[in-house]
Amino acid sequence: MAKKYNFDFLTLKNNSKEGKIIFFVTIFLVLFGVVMVYSASYYFARRTYNNQYFYLIKQLIGFILGFFFLNVLRNIDYNKLKKFGLISVIVSAILLILVFIPELGVENYGARRWINLPGFTLQPSEIAKFSFVLFASQYLSKNYKEIKNFKNLLPILIAGTIFCLLIILEPNMSITMCVGLIMLFMLFVGGISFKHFLLFCIPIIILVPILIIIEPYRLDRLLAFINPWVNPQGEGYQLIQSFFSISNGGLFGVGLFNSRQKYLFLPFAESDFIFAVIGEEFGLVGCILLLSIYFVLIVCGIKIAIKSKNRFGAYLASGIIGVIVIQTTINIAVVTGLIPPTGLPLPFISMGSTSIVVFMSAIGVLLNIDKQNNESIILFKTDKNFFSIKKVKAVTQNN
Amino acid sequence: MGLTNYLEVNINIKVEYSTMSLQKRLLSVILIITFIFFILLIRIFTLQVIQSQNLQIKAIDQWVRMLPLSANRGKILDNNGNILAISYTTYDLYFRSREIKNPVEVATYISNLLDLDFQKVYQKAMNTSVSENLVKLQLDESVASTILQKNFDGVYFSENIKRFYPYNNSLSQVLGYLTIDSEGQTGIESYYNNILKGTDGKYLTQSDVRGIKLNSSLNYYTEAIDGIDIKLNIDINIQLILENVLNQIVIDHNPKSVSAIVMDPNTSKIIALAISPNFDLNEVPRDDVSTLLTLSKNTTISDIYEPGSTFKIFTLACALSEGLTNENEHFYCPGYRIVDGEKIKCWKTTGHGDQTLIEAIQNSCNCCFMDLGLRIGKEKFYDYLELFGLGSKTGVDASGESSGLLLDENIVKNVDLVRIAFGQTVAVTQLQLLNSFCSIINGGTLNTPSFLDAYSEKNQSLYINNTTKKNRTVSSEISNKICELLVQSLSKTGDMSFIEGYKIAGKTGTAQKYGENGAISQGKYVSSFFGFINQDGANYALLLCVDEPSSGAYYGSVVAKPYAKTIFEEIIKYKNIKPFDSSINYKDFIVPNFINMDLNYAMQILEKENLYYEVDGEGDKVVWQFPKENTEVTRSTTILLKTN
Repeated sequence: MAKKYNFDFLTLKNNSKEGKIIFFVTIFLVLFGVVMVYSASYYFARRTYNNQYFYLIKQLIGFILGFFFLNVLRNIDYNKLKKFGLISVIVSAILLILVFIPELGVENYGARRWINLPGFTLQPSEIAKFSFVLFASQYLSKNYKEIKNFKNLLPILIAGTIFCLLIILEPNMSITMCVGLIMLFMLFVGGISFKHFLLFCIPIIILVPILIIIEPYRLDRLLAFINPWVNPQGEGYQLIQSFFSISNGGLFGVGLFNSRQKYLFLPFAESDFIFAVIGEEFGLVGCILLLSIYFVLIVCGIKIAIKSKNRFGAYLASGIIGVIVIQTTINIAVVTGLIPPTGLPLPFISMGSTSIVVFMSAIGVLLNIDKQNNESIILFKTDKNFFSIKKVKAVTQNN
Repeated sequence: MGLTNYLEVNINIKVEYSTMSLQKRLLSVILIITFIFFILLIRIFTLQVIQSQNLQIKAIDQWVRMLPLSANRGKILDNNGNILAISYTTYDLYFRSREIKNPVEVATYISNLLDLDFQKVYQKAMNTSVSENLVKLQLDESVASTILQKNFDGVYFSENIKRFYPYNNSLSQVLGYLTIDSEGQTGIESYYNNILKGTDGKYLTQSDVRGIKLNSSLNYYTEAIDGIDIKLNIDINIQLILENVLNQIVIDHNPKSVSAIVMDPNTSKIIALAISPNFDLNEVPRDDVSTLLTLSKNTTISDIYEPGSTFKIFTLACALSEGLTNENEHFYCPGYRIVDGEKIKCWKTTGHGDQTLIEAIQNSCNCCFMDLGLRIGKEKFYDYLELFGLGSKTGVDASGESSGLLLDENIVKNVDLVRIAFGQTVAVTQLQLLNSFCSIINGGTLNTPSFLDAYSEKNQSLYINNTTKKNRTVSSEISNKICELLVQSLSKTGDMSFIEGYKIAGKTGTAQKYGENGAISQGKYVSSFFGFINQDGANYALLLCVDEPSSGAYYGSVVAKPYAKTIFEEIIKYKNIKPFDSSINYKDFIVPNFINMDLNYAMQILEKENLYYEVDGEGDKVVWQFPKENTEVTRSTTILLKTN
């Protein structure tokens, strides 16, 4: 057993094929992100900071930190995280509250989303998502047998609601939405009854219009989303610029560094709208490839979840993949104008060191789950492959 | 084997009941993700392939900034190369303060060079709240290029093209003015706008959202092609002579308007065309649209009037061509003719008595011309009028030309015919009338009048406006004969020239004006003079029209003829035309007082002095005279007397 905890830094010998794919896909996505952040931001950075590498450097630091945490967490038994479930939720909640303390919180674009730390800023909501996943996995794995009982769902609901409330106060509608969806995702994966699942969907459907009414800017954004051309210089501006950017890509794109829209036309080109720049520079072919890469990552992640040696691992792996799925989908849907604009980074790629470090750390945990799947005795052989079970069933029936 | 597997499966399902559920749910998650990703790809495909082109068209608007490069408008020159209209560029200096890297340096340099207050310039260089700060208007090209050589970031110029007319009010109706968008609005500027204006160029640059130029190789540049210079037939010196005389007429007679055209009778080239009142082309009164419309209209081309006695030249030409009269024929004028039972008066109601054709022309006797008109008959007469180009446009190179007005031939009765014969119930434009006269005096060729002589591009002659001969009107013999008759008629005795030593022919005209209701407007006349000189290689025809003189005098012989004489004198001086016989002295005459004098006595004095005179009224006592007492006049001046 001691061998299992050997700290292997770069060798992936204990990881499955899926684990290796995830590792390389992650590194590829993050490095691709670094290049894209540079491409999208160098003109802005040169004009604003007189240093075209400003964001490239920030992003590289994020990558190095993220890579470090990925490897550390890859070598720490994820089961040890179990006991941090509740603590991490409490710490995240405190961090989310700290945002509102004027000396610590940084206000930007009318929202308090960052905590000022020496050298960098931290976005607690990024951490909160994974804290919630950790807590939910730990709780669900302990109480899976009674999960059909509504009473047993309460701790998850309370934790999720507190997070949502704190994040919506920043305000940050998109991450609130994200946390809400993760909560639903975890509950769904955790095996709650469909009746309960539908019941939880109702408050979300009710809450969305209420939140829109509370903050009028959201209504403007919604109207701008429905027809951005009504006010192309005002509310519709962001979306139209994103359309211009993506459409400029055509089939094969205008080529790396050749985006026209990054010349200050497209706001947040290096962060929330980086997908538009990717679409512009690499075209439809690039977009299909990128989505395929994400899809491969997601499928491999889910395979790891299915193969997990215990429930905690399965839930945790699912949760990590869930965050990636939800955030990627929302981000691309926003950029392509399928849902109203909200600010949510594209996992691994968008500018933002907190985001990168957190996502890479999460991948580290995922890889540890995978590693342990291979190292330990598989308790449930048939868990490996759902389809083989069916096949076996079919064979036996024929017999 | 099958059994063991089966058992294993069943055992596992029993033991780990919800593991199956977890697997199922995770696999359904994969299905949902596949579905969502598929939707995302459809959306991306829509944007990048289906809507791509439409979105690109809109996007290009914001990516590319177009700087127009204005073409220089061509110059307008007179026939001797004097500049009548010229365009030059001024430069307005702007700061795009966000781009300025060293405001102090820029402000110091600019304020020193342009002698501006440093603080003010510096403030503008620092003012980043607006995208552009205007620093100075209308700089010369040399100053602008000096500043441009410094290559400051954020220092821009905007070009402004100014049209300048060195002769201000001269030729204002002929040259015309430009709209504020530098398009010709009237006159030559409008008619030859396409030649003059050239083609604007373009400079397309890629820029960022603030309009800052990008260092990109995709800049697109088309050079502006300058407009072509055009040369007119106008001689600015003769034009100025004309305008000075017109000003004098305005001072002396205060008419509603006065206009004059000088034309080369052989080619119908328009050498001068002046209309008063006019306006300063350099300060176009754009605020007052109706005034501008009135002032800028070339009335000699666009407006028609009843010509009166000058028109008798056509009647004479027809009658002579058809052999219906000769110089020696006598006409008796009792002061009226009765045509088809209607009494039509001669302008001199007391009658001219017995007179030869030459005398009848001198006297401008209506009775004589009524007789000639009836002899010609309406069919012949109308054939001739058509030959002379009356009732149709001359085809002059100007817009807004009228074709004149002839009564429909079918409704013309004898009473109308005789009136047309002495210049009534017919309307012409001044240019049309002069051009038709020219065909009678030039040997019988009707030409198309023209302003344009030639235009050239970069000193290479491209196009020369050759006169277009339209048709023959009279034979050269008849033409010569009419010239001779007109020369003779200009002096009372027949041997005394209009200007001594020069062979100048002419005919005066006085026409009553009709109001809008068709009735004669009392006291409103158009006094005119048609004359020409053909001597020493110089060939000029002149038509001078004074519309509604208000000094009391209205006869063409008083209001127009003396001024026409001045015009010819000035042209002779300017062109240095040699006289036939320089020995003849130029005697002046001081007008005595005729008022309250017996008319017969006054006429005796005037005849003794060999002066040409006209009497208005039927009484026998002089009550008014023109010119006034003690005015020094030349022998050819007409003295006008009015009786009680």
